[in-house]
Amino acid sequence: MKKIYTIIVIALLAVPAFAQSNYTSLQYSIGFGAGEMKDFIGQVSFRGFTIDYRSMVRQDLGVGLDMGWNVFYEEKGDDVYEYGNITYSGKQWHYSNHFPILFAVDYYKQTNGKLTPYAGFGLGTMYSLQNTDMGTYTFERDAWHFAVRPELGVLINASPGLDFTILAKYYYGLKAGDLPAQGYFTLNFGFVFGQF
Amino acid sequence: MNRKINFILILASLAMLWGCYPQGPDYAEEMDVVFTTHNDEYDFAGKATFALPDRIVKITGNLEDGEDPEFIPDVTATKILKMIEDNMTALGWQKVDVAANPDLFLFPASWETTTVFYWYDYWGWWYGGYYPGWGYGGYYPPYYMYSSYTTGSIMMTLIDPDVVGGNGNPLPQWTGVISGLLTGVFDQARVEKAIDKAFTISPYLQTN
Repeated sequence: MKKIYTIIVIALLAVPAFAQSNYTSLQYSIGFGAGEMKDFIGQVSFRGFTIDYRSMVRQDLGVGLDMGWNVFYEEKGDDVYEYGNITYSGKQWHYSNHFPILFAVDYYKQTNGKLTPYAGFGLGTMYSLQNTDMGTYTFERDAWHFAVRPELGVLINASPGLDFTILAKYYYGLKAGDLPAQGYFTLNFGFVFGQF
Repeated sequence: MNRKINFILILASLAMLWGCYPQGPDYAEEMDVVFTTHNDEYDFAGKATFALPDRIVKITGNLEDGEDPEFIPDVTATKILKMIEDNMTALGWQKVDVAANPDLFLFPASWETTTVFYWYDYWGWWYGGYYPGWGYGGYYPPYYMYSSYTTGSIMMTLIDPDVVGGNGNPLPQWTGVISGLLTGVFDQARVEKAIDKAFTISPYLQTN
């Protein structure tokens, strides 16, 4: 948990002042597991948020940080699980926490309307913490992954001073530590503060 | 100024997601866990008889040399031992007396400690006259994290007296653990279900 708090503190410190040509977006994030991540937890996650910061180095190009947290959870049935010559019987509860911290670059298509579509790429790290709870036991695995993240989104200027964003991301952390590769899609909805 | 306030409010709302962290079990029964481990090179099918004591010791972790162990109440032990015997019989085993040279010993215990060490002396009162060499300085092979068993767990261990480790003590060929069910009020239905499960998930114990 100490690592998690550290990530949160870093994320909060990274929130910038509301300067021209910078914006920060706070997003609610829905997660969908993929690959081996989905094998571990098949349920959609409705618990997550993302903080995006972009500095507009050009009118159509922003660079910055992408940080967030998504927790996936699934209650498994009363079943039999085998690990080598050890067999367990009972219910399991699976938890998978993911904390990406990525450097991000976005390209913004210039339009005259209220919508600004953009596409981007992120590169950095992702901390994953997975727990399998059974009775009073928990089996914990964690890893810091090298992570990549493509994204597609749109900025919406609803009215002067009121901006939103809707975007889709795909986080992929390479196999690391105790964990196999971890991948998940997110669908994010957020408020935008600042100028883009 | 309003934008800053909004920013802080939204940030606080997102932080409140921490409060929504998913929880685990809702009922005590959902905490019931059975696990087993075995020596997958051991030929259970080639054996036929087992011996079972008539009391269940408490593994307290602090038994001194020469001391008698503690036992769980007879009224509870009798029921548990019957459940174990019924399961073994259903798998084709014949229960015999400890003096009848059984193929396997089944050691039932109530786990009351978190210590790693597990001394055979806990059963010296039962097999001592037949296997006087066991139990001196040996520790239970660390098949699976004995240090983290929940207090009140029921543990069943099958031991072949002819298969011994380097210290001269016999090695466990099968271990079944019912986690934590001897704490609080004895719930016969839950215990029976769990003991049955331990044998159900161990089909390799079937003998001819």
